Amino acid sequence: MENIVLVCTAGMSTSLLVSKMKEIAGRNNIEINIEALAQSELKSYNKRIDLILLGPQVKYLLNNLERNYKNSETRFDVIDSIHYGTLNGKAVLNQALTLLNKKVI
Amino acid sequence: MLSKFIKVMENRFVPFASKLGSQRHLLAIRDGFISIMPLAIIGSLAILINNFPINYYQQYMVGVFGAEWTTFSNYIYSGTFSIMSLLIVFSISYNLAESYNNDPLLAALISFSSFIITIIQSGPQGFTIPFKWLDASGLLVAVIVSLLATEIYVKMMDLIEIRKNTNQGTMTPILNRYFSALIPTILIFIIFSLMRIIFAFLGIENIFQEIYRLIQLPLLGLANNLFTALVIVFIGHFFWFLGLHGTNILEPVIQTLYLPALQENIQAVSNNLAVPNIFTKPFFDSFVYMGGSGTTISLLIVIYLFSNSKRKKDLMKLSSTQSVFNINEPILYGLPIVMSPIYLIPFILTPLVLTLSSYFAILTGLVPKTIAMVPWGTPPIISGFLITGSISGSLLQIFNIFIGILIYFPFVKIAERIKD
Repeated sequence: MENIVLVCTAGMSTSLLVSKMKEIAGRNNIEINIEALAQSELKSYNKRIDLILLGPQVKYLLNNLERNYKNSETRFDVIDSIHYGTLNGKAVLNQALTLLNKKVI
Repeated sequence: MLSKFIKVMENRFVPFASKLGSQRHLLAIRDGFISIMPLAIIGSLAILINNFPINYYQQYMVGVFGAEWTTFSNYIYSGTFSIMSLLIVFSISYNLAESYNNDPLLAALISFSSFIITIIQSGPQGFTIPFKWLDASGLLVAVIVSLLATEIYVKMMDLIEIRKNTNQGTMTPILNRYFSALIPTILIFIIFSLMRIIFAFLGIENIFQEIYRLIQLPLLGLANNLFTALVIVFIGHFFWFLGLHGTNILEPVIQTLYLPALQENIQAVSNNLAVPNIFTKPFFDSFVYMGGSGTTISLLIVIYLFSNSKRKKDLMKLSSTQSVFNINEPILYGLPIVMSPIYLIPFILTPLVLTLSSYFAILTGLVPKTIAMVPWGTPPIISGFLITGSISGSLLQIFNIFIGILIYFPFVKIAERIKD
């Protein structure tokens, strides 16, 4: 099962989005694990990660991800700010599925 | 024209802010402070419990627990907030080594020892650790020592790693790891010990005293100045306006400048002295950033009371509860405020005005200075009381929210007229 991690400064606002994404994934029978993390928790997170999605407010962390994950399978991207602000779980889930080369809903 | 201006700003400042926000050492400092926050908050609240300025309360506590009742909380404070530098050495080093994918525990232990080597003083009864430099007054030295020790450690381990790859050893991995760490560790301690001797030779017995006097004191003076406070609020919100977490990017600076200011206040209160500093970390968090950056709690109230637009009502449903806990990303990106020329003015103006109003409220003595810290998610009105120990702190928050409403109101109306 793919593991997706959403990252923001304290893991608070992304956790709202994660619960929406999980709900939609569940309704469409998509087997996927989604978690919200604070930026400081990401380094010590030791499960396998397939995709990291950054909240738009921490898009500056892309540089760090490029540095840390350049030799790994992990993909990463920034969440669209309007989708983030409107907590559009479906759009963000589709963004994730596209990045994982899966069928969108 | 305005949108062109915003485009130019974006192209110019976003790369700069990104660099600042992703800089490895600044990130380590920021994460280091975040790691010790629970301890700092508990320590500050312990002192608040001792010093609620209510006569009846004080008499009651003395009556129940005896005259020495404050000792209980003083112990907690002394083991947490009071040894902030000791904690920060460990946690910055840990976070920095982790970002290099190196052994964080070993790096943190080495930094901890290096800090002790830097601080011990010889006296008639042998070596002692001067407790007073373990608090925020030793913060700058703590940051420097932890960055320096960790950098040397990581760089040397990398060198050894390269050599090891060329001639494979036969030791078990764990043993190998500690053996190879031996040389860098020794070298780091030699450097720090030698530094002490060189400084002593130059007539500086206490490095902390000198760095505090020469750098940290002037810096704190600069920080506790209305102009600096306004600049910091402005930059933070300007970054936010460009869509980046401004307060987070500035966090290393804010913590290093305004946490020691709070500590001075706490220290003064517990010694029954006049409280010195107006600007502290909780000053900004609780009096200015209510509902999150931009004091968006005022904006939400305006929209809730005066707006008819359906989209905004939907937005309200999404974000009103979080706003109480000072989380406002959905409003910033969803309304949106970010990159919106209409909201640019109130979003930056409101926090600046509230910094001024809070400053004058405290300066004139209407509201006491901040003497405690609460988690940033603590709802307004509650937080105002807790950080000052006085109801007038909450009243100032209500007053500030009201000013925010006055500033946001016309802009919400303009935004609606343009939408229609």
